[in-house]
Amino acid sequence: GQEFQFGPCQVEGVVLQELWEAFQAMKDIVQAQDNITSVQLLRKEVLQNVSEAESCYLIHALLEFYLNTVFKNYHHKAVEFRILKSFSTLANNFIVIMSKLQPSQEKEMFSVRESARRRFLLFQRAFKQLDREAAVTKAFGEVDILLTWMENFYQ
Amino acid sequence: DGVAVLPAPQNLSVQSTNMKHVLTWSPVIVPEEIIHYSVEYQGEYESLYMSHIWIPSSWCSPTQGPECDITDDITATVPYSLRVRATLGSLTSAWSTLKHPFNRNSTILTPPGMEITKDGFHLVIKLEDLGPQFEFFVAYWKREPGAKEHVKMVRRGGIPVHLETMEPGAAHCVKVRTFVKAIGRHSAFSQTECVKVQGEALPL
Repeated sequence: GQEFQFGPCQVEGVVLQELWEAFQAMKDIVQAQDNITSVQLLRKEVLQNVSEAESCYLIHALLEFYLNTVFKNYHHKAVEFRILKSFSTLANNFIVIMSKLQPSQEKEMFSVRESARRRFLLFQRAFKQLDREAAVTKAFGEVDILLTWMENFYQ
Repeated sequence: DGVAVLPAPQNLSVQSTNMKHVLTWSPVIVPEEIIHYSVEYQGEYESLYMSHIWIPSSWCSPTQGPECDITDDITATVPYSLRVRATLGSLTSAWSTLKHPFNRNSTILTPPGMEITKDGFHLVIKLEDLGPQFEFFVAYWKREPGAKEHVKMVRRGGIPVHLETMEPGAAHCVKVRTFVKAIGRHSAFSQTECVKVQGEALPL
């Protein structure tokens, strides 16, 4: 069967198609709320040319941020827009992925870890430069960019 | 209605086979009254990050029978908490919560049904359609000493699949098991079934 392989980190038990279906079910209503079209949080410098070795660190940092900050602060909107079921599917599958990622903490991986951290900080800084609610709305609307990038590691 | 307090449903349990999950409970009985039930669920995310939030089940909020197909609600391989309450008019019971959260990786996987046919010299298999979660691992071989076993992964059931061209007079055998990506588990193998180009299926 297919699984995620973020460099050394292998993740089974998640069907990417289910995540896409969940996001597609709410994409229009979610992205319609994002009025700041001049900014992209998950921009090229964050996700392009990520090495296999970096990918585990980066996906771990991004998913942790999404679960702890984006989803947590978007939940009331999910209730308001009646998209709780799709929202729950995404959130719970992100938890499955997170629970299976074990990025190595070995010294030799310091430079790779740092490179991934710099990419994540680019994303986080852009997030913090926006008004809080606008940033959460934009980040949640960019889950398709995240899933597209994750697809590179689904084999 | 003469009912002061509506008792909460009891004996909640989940039966899950081949990724179809059904929550059942003992019915609440009030003579000559129709009781309705509401089912809600929480995945691991909700219980970790917002434990006050429960999501109404897709098909059973409300429902009349003492059971609920929760398959469409269980969309991740994490523990799900489930709860049910009874309603009669304006009366509602307390919530009853499933004692142990349900995880779909505990589903019972049965060997799939299969239909072996001969199309001339061609060995054709049609597998039970168990839905998009299932893939099939088909093993087939010619029944003779030292025969090599061939394997084919079939992505979907319900459609005929050509396995191989058979040799006249030789028996060709097939067995199958399912694989479910979402939980990373497979079923036991089915019974082996053999056919001969001129003969009928020879059960082992």
